[in-house]
Amino acid sequence: MTPNPLALIAEITHRCPLHCVYCSNPLELAAVKDELSTSAWIDVFQQAGKLGMLHAHFTGGEPLARADLTELIAGACTAGLYTNLITSGIGLAEPRLRQLVDTGLDHIQISFQDSREDAANWIAGAKSHAHKIELSRVIRQYKVAFTVNLVVHRQNIDYLDEMISFIEQLAPERMEIAHTQYYGWALRNRAALLPTKAQLDKAVETVAAAEKRLAGRIRIDSVVPDYYARFPKACMGGWGRRLMLINPAGKVLPCHAAEVIPALTFENVRERSLEYIWQESASFQKFRGDAWMPEPCRSCDLRTQDFGGCRCQALLLAGDAATTDPACSLAPAHHIVEAAVAEANSNPAVSEFVSAASFVQLEQLTRNLWSYRKNPD
Amino acid sequence: MPDSQPRLAPGCRWATHAEKPVVLYPEGMIRVQGTGQNILELCDGERTIQQIVATLAEKYAASEPDKIMDDVCSFLEGLRNKRIVDY
Repeated sequence: MTPNPLALIAEITHRCPLHCVYCSNPLELAAVKDELSTSAWIDVFQQAGKLGMLHAHFTGGEPLARADLTELIAGACTAGLYTNLITSGIGLAEPRLRQLVDTGLDHIQISFQDSREDAANWIAGAKSHAHKIELSRVIRQYKVAFTVNLVVHRQNIDYLDEMISFIEQLAPERMEIAHTQYYGWALRNRAALLPTKAQLDKAVETVAAAEKRLAGRIRIDSVVPDYYARFPKACMGGWGRRLMLINPAGKVLPCHAAEVIPALTFENVRERSLEYIWQESASFQKFRGDAWMPEPCRSCDLRTQDFGGCRCQALLLAGDAATTDPACSLAPAHHIVEAAVAEANSNPAVSEFVSAASFVQLEQLTRNLWSYRKNPD
Repeated sequence: MPDSQPRLAPGCRWATHAEKPVVLYPEGMIRVQGTGQNILELCDGERTIQQIVATLAEKYAASEPDKIMDDVCSFLEGLRNKRIVDY
């Protein structure tokens, strides 16, 4: 028997008022008409609780786009799960926040795109920055834990020091400095987002200094981006080892991007129980453990720590989900990551942010730089 | 420091996993057992670190309260840096 999963990632909708260019949602977004009902989600949380899962991470898209979010949070709380809302904050004003906290919401994470308002709105493709600041102030008046998440990349990383000071003023318990991971929209926009080595080195120093300065006040979680690491990340803590992700349509995935792997079929909570899917489904067993591993993973001492890296990245970059993650310096396909890094470093240019009267106009003005995330049908 | 009153930080709470006590925090959990569990269970926001040390010294009939104070302080400081304990 495989030990039961620890946490459920509930991707409750792919709708989002933001269009962030680094979004890790799949390019093929789940349609609104296919979204699971309120009662189907509540049943999922009940199953998760019975399986001994501890956390329910509510994400999307924008979870607030679902009018029944408070009911869903209540369902997860009743099932005994720790509830974490990962949000842009758009669609949240004080009355709804109060409802969520009263319902038992344990933690809220708001993402910021930059400390400079115009740049933040340019990256998000929406005028959202000012609202997030206002909302952060309101959140601190409520008894709920608060994390600020900041996704960093070539276009904002030079301002990291300012951004950390900006976040400090919002007084969260934690801040996450998340380097862009290249899946979905971010992979499409990689040339505009991948930082140079010089940018990264400076950012690492900035974070180290901030950690020291803020110790005991704000916890900083930060990870070196895998394109610049020697060894790959332990994606999701190992395939089918700790986490289950349920997409808006009820498909159960071992990670955010797994649907890109064409050879796999994923079960749906409408047809199968979480327990069956975790223990029995072919998709969750496919890359569990180390029997599937090729060399150099198979004989590598790190295989029980990084699990061969990310299967989706192997597929996306090397065309084979069962090969060593190309981010690994020992991988046969590492040259692909090296080429992307070399290209990023051959031109250190950073773009000037632009503003526009409408989203359509903004898309036109930036189309040579990146594609904004679309919304589902 | 000895007068500080440690407690679990916002967003952190006790739970049971695989029949063992754990402390949940926003993105994960820590398993707590043995001395660590004994210390954390006393962190109720009321007791001072001094009182926690005295309780532990009595419980373990230990003769070196200074050593217990050092151990408790470094244990709690580690958790404070992770924003799991506040004081």
